[in-house]
Amino acid sequence: MAGKKKKILGIVCERSVDLKKHIKNNKLKDKDNVSILEMVCSGMIQPIMIEEGLKAGADGVFVMGCQIGDCHFREGNRWCQDRLLGLRPPNIKKAIDRNRLRGYWLAKCDYKKFIEKVNKFEEDLNNLPEKETVKEPAKAGA
Amino acid sequence: MYKKILDQLQILTISFEKWTNKVFSQQYNPFYYHGAVPNLFMWTLFVTGLLLFAYYQPTLDSAYISVNYISNKLPFGNIVRGMHRYAADAMMIAVLLHALRVYFTDRYRKYRWIAWYSGVALIGCMLVIGITGYILVWDERSYMIVLMMADALKQIPAIGPPLAEFFVNGEMITHYTLAMSFFLHVGISFLLLYLLWLHYLRISRPVTDVPLGLGLLLMASIIIPAAVIPVSSGKPAVLIQVPAEFPTDWFYLWLFPMFSSMPAMIVWTVLFIITTILLAVPFLIIDEPKSPAQVLLDNCVGCTLCAKDCPYEAIYMVPRTDHPKFKQLAIVIDARCAECGLCVGACAFKAIDLPQKHSKEIIAKIGDVLKEPVGVG
Repeated sequence: MAGKKKKILGIVCERSVDLKKHIKNNKLKDKDNVSILEMVCSGMIQPIMIEEGLKAGADGVFVMGCQIGDCHFREGNRWCQDRLLGLRPPNIKKAIDRNRLRGYWLAKCDYKKFIEKVNKFEEDLNNLPEKETVKEPAKAGA
Repeated sequence: MYKKILDQLQILTISFEKWTNKVFSQQYNPFYYHGAVPNLFMWTLFVTGLLLFAYYQPTLDSAYISVNYISNKLPFGNIVRGMHRYAADAMMIAVLLHALRVYFTDRYRKYRWIAWYSGVALIGCMLVIGITGYILVWDERSYMIVLMMADALKQIPAIGPPLAEFFVNGEMITHYTLAMSFFLHVGISFLLLYLLWLHYLRISRPVTDVPLGLGLLLMASIIIPAAVIPVSSGKPAVLIQVPAEFPTDWFYLWLFPMFSSMPAMIVWTVLFIITTILLAVPFLIIDEPKSPAQVLLDNCVGCTLCAKDCPYEAIYMVPRTDHPKFKQLAIVIDARCAECGLCVGACAFKAIDLPQKHSKEIIAKIGDVLKEPVGVG
């Protein structure tokens, strides 16, 4: 794994940071190790989707919604934040390594801040020990 | 074109709010409580209005005297009166900002049209309440308002003359004129509450209260001006003398400079056109046909999570009898659904989904998105 870029999956609200110009083939143009999946609202993100992302080979998953307090659909980003924090059902599985999850709450014009945060996330992932796939219950079932 | 301008305005609004976040912090940003701020001012008006109500006398002879009595003799009467005036102005500012923000951020149409329509009606009521409120003081300005308003109303064809008579409460200005203004001022305030109920319909957990810190700040913004620049009446109205000019309140009395500079019929036509445009605005942009969320009968376990999370009261739980174990079933009211997918995020059983953006497809897509070898894109 040494030298290889960490794979990052971003599940993103289409109304937060405007990524339409920065995406090609679902990858960020500036950072091709970051895959982006756009959603109607961050509130639509199911914990299964986050788990699925890690299972499918991502080293880290981040969720991005609008600034807390300003959701187009009123409460979506708050529900999503609460789910990431484990305050609202359905919960994310306990087996999931919380170090590999991030939640960003940024406004439409925050692209610079977004890239900074993703870079920081990548750095953090590089500092983490190798992903232990054995712990994944799905792996045992396969 | 129209859509592009709106998009730019939305970005402008959001950047402005980002900047206010730096000043107020996210938790106290007044723009995140843009609906609750007018509400705070409205309740301030109700409370201060109740205090004024206790001492006000709606007759030609004593109205002016009783208002001055409140201002000069009653302890804190001055401040209460000032708060009533300044809160009214602040409420108008807050309401207009609220409307502008909702418009700029595209939150006024589709499933939100009821809120927009009731909002237009609320602003109309506020104008009537404001104008009649200025009559109650019964100084020269009040007298002019009654004269000009009656005159302007008379010029509307067919319904005009009876309306004018209703407004003046008779052929000429008497004690009953003030009684009518008083009735309209207080009565329509209660109509506000009914319209507010309409305004809150279809919204689960409406944000009606500002955080304490912001509330104190906003209250200070009315109480301090009320104490520093006390509100005072003009010269008392004398029915034989028509005053030449009077100071205008630009939030509620902007109609009257218009009345004095152009024929009343033109003003009414302009008002009518503005209202029509406002009522048409939610339907100017045409969208794709609706595809509301759908519940899968077989998967729904009746856990109520989606009904709790729905921000528009579109999901209800109904009893079910077709399943041996589960006693409840979620149903979606199509007309209210915003297609936001919050219910999909709340469901752990894959029982509710948006037909256009199916969660199964999204999950399948996750694999595809990641599978592509890094660097190909």
